[in-house]
Amino acid sequence: MTVADRRQDDSPTNGVNLRQEVRDQIGEIGEAEILVGIPSFNNARTIGHVVRAVQIGLAKYFPEHKAVLVNSDGGSSDGTMEAVRDAVMEDFGSVLIRHRIEPSFKLALPYHGIPGKGSAFRTIFEIADALGAKACAVVDSDLRSITPEWIELLLKPVISGDFDYVSPLYLRHKYDGTITNSIIYPLFCSLYGKKVRQPIGGEFGFSGDLARFFLTKDVWESDVARYGIDIWMTTTAVANGYRICQAFLGAKIHDPKDPGADLSSMLYQVVGAAFDLMEAYAEVWKKTECSEQVPTFGFRYAVGLEPVRVNVERMLEMFSLGVTELMDVWRAFLPDEVSDFLLVAREIPMEEFRIPDGIWADIVLSFALAAHRKLLSREHLLRSLTPLYIGRTASFVLETVDSEAEEVEEKIERLCQIFEVKMGGLRDLWD
Amino acid sequence: MEGVFERLLLAPMNVFFEKVMQFLPNLFSALFIFVCGLLVGWLAKTVLRWLFAVLKLDGFADRLGVTRGLAKGGLHDSFSSVLARFIGGFVVFVFFLVSLNNLNVDLIQTMIEKFLNYLPNVFVAIVILSLGYMLGTFLGRTVLIASVNAGMRISGLVGRFVKYLVFLLAVAIAVDQLGIGAEAVLVTYTIVFSGVVLALAIAFGLGGKDTARKYLEGKLKEKKGGEGEDVMRHL
Repeated sequence: MTVADRRQDDSPTNGVNLRQEVRDQIGEIGEAEILVGIPSFNNARTIGHVVRAVQIGLAKYFPEHKAVLVNSDGGSSDGTMEAVRDAVMEDFGSVLIRHRIEPSFKLALPYHGIPGKGSAFRTIFEIADALGAKACAVVDSDLRSITPEWIELLLKPVISGDFDYVSPLYLRHKYDGTITNSIIYPLFCSLYGKKVRQPIGGEFGFSGDLARFFLTKDVWESDVARYGIDIWMTTTAVANGYRICQAFLGAKIHDPKDPGADLSSMLYQVVGAAFDLMEAYAEVWKKTECSEQVPTFGFRYAVGLEPVRVNVERMLEMFSLGVTELMDVWRAFLPDEVSDFLLVAREIPMEEFRIPDGIWADIVLSFALAAHRKLLSREHLLRSLTPLYIGRTASFVLETVDSEAEEVEEKIERLCQIFEVKMGGLRDLWD
Repeated sequence: MEGVFERLLLAPMNVFFEKVMQFLPNLFSALFIFVCGLLVGWLAKTVLRWLFAVLKLDGFADRLGVTRGLAKGGLHDSFSSVLARFIGGFVVFVFFLVSLNNLNVDLIQTMIEKFLNYLPNVFVAIVILSLGYMLGTFLGRTVLIASVNAGMRISGLVGRFVKYLVFLLAVAIAVDQLGIGAEAVLVTYTIVFSGVVLALAIAFGLGGKDTARKYLEGKLKEKKGGEGEDVMRHL
């Protein structure tokens, strides 16, 4: 079945209930070609800048397209929705050579369902569907480095009809996005054969058809409704044969602390969603032989990045505590050589502490297999990964303390290759 | 003389012989029932072992920590094997009771009747203990993982405390179900639980006052200067 055929067949089901007021607003707008969604929760400090950047981006690069900006809010108490309504670019003349022809609209509404980013996205997809949008983009509300060009880069490949899904490519500090670098990117590459560098980046462009396809999936009561949404969207697009590309957006700088973000919960939701997708698309990833680059747009340039403060000593304490207390839990599924290594590693002094790529790949794939075989309660299994992830992050920090960005990227690529090699063993054991 | 001999010796012997003759069929019947019980018990054990293997019961028991609990209790066989043996043994035991009942001895029948009336309580107690053990293991592990992720040095102690607390509660309920000194058990449990809580409160209060002071000082400093915490973004 081709993507075009699937588009004909798919129709959204079990939609969210939009309030009458919102339905009226959508009725007034009628149709729109472009929709940009901004999920938020207590982001009053930064969301005004994001809204203005989106408005300018739409006016500058898509003046002839009717566009709607949707803020899907999770019940903020700091005036986030008011900040969205008040964010107005009063003097477009100072940033634009010509003014937009088609009007643009702004909607700020609370979403319903499980509190989380995925539920916010679901509402955005519903509105995109109701308006018949052809191209959509979503951007995080805590961004400080977003520029109007991001909107062009995320939407243009979709508007032109060449691609269905645009994944972001950023310059990030070497210690930023460590779940992506150490787990999600290597796992995604080796499973689905596409080198999508930021599969959980947070900013994406996608076609209206793909938004409607997302709505056909019954996943909105799972981790997808929370932090699992990003990996779910990217995997769903790739595994179902949608055309995917990357857009280079420059530096990603955002508020350092995500409100309400707890590492263990984030890891649980993101890794849990990735493991669930392995179940759903087992027949897809079992056929993958090697990974390939995906088309990338945007002018690449170097930027200065804000330093990231890391307390390695405390990380190693957490790792050591985890190994001491949780080894009994892990022994049920970790290979003996990995268990033995971990017991030795907890005694190693900080300067010499390392978790090699091979051991780390074995750990992640053993957890994936244990989740597949249901060897342990899912909650226990995924949450017990936290100390190991912290240990691996500490090791990564120690290994790359003097490394330039290029060296760090090479190291991450080497980790991907090791995951690809080890994936053969997982395929054999899966059934 | 002959009448006396007949009355004093032969008559009782005849009566005894008649009773033995009446009892022997029951005895043979009881032995037959018991032998049948041994066979049925063995058959049940074999069939259940196969069924449990098909249902992958051992994997489920591993996840709940039952296998590890059995090992700690000195049972190194798999859970499915232990359960199959238990059920097989129970079948033999039921046949044994039926065979005893078949002897038609009043005293034995009264004892069996009392035992059978008490048996449901034993079953309920076993179920309560099993559920208590599984729940204790699950909650103990939940608390252990959460406290490790929170960086608590006494995670192991906290996890074990929760596990044994839940199991102790199950023991108290099970003993109450069996009617063994119900009130005494409840009072003992209350005293032990209160004592443990009080001891912990005192221990934490005395031993942790410096830690608490440092923690609060650290928190206040963080609020003022934002120092001391990682600013990593993991996603």
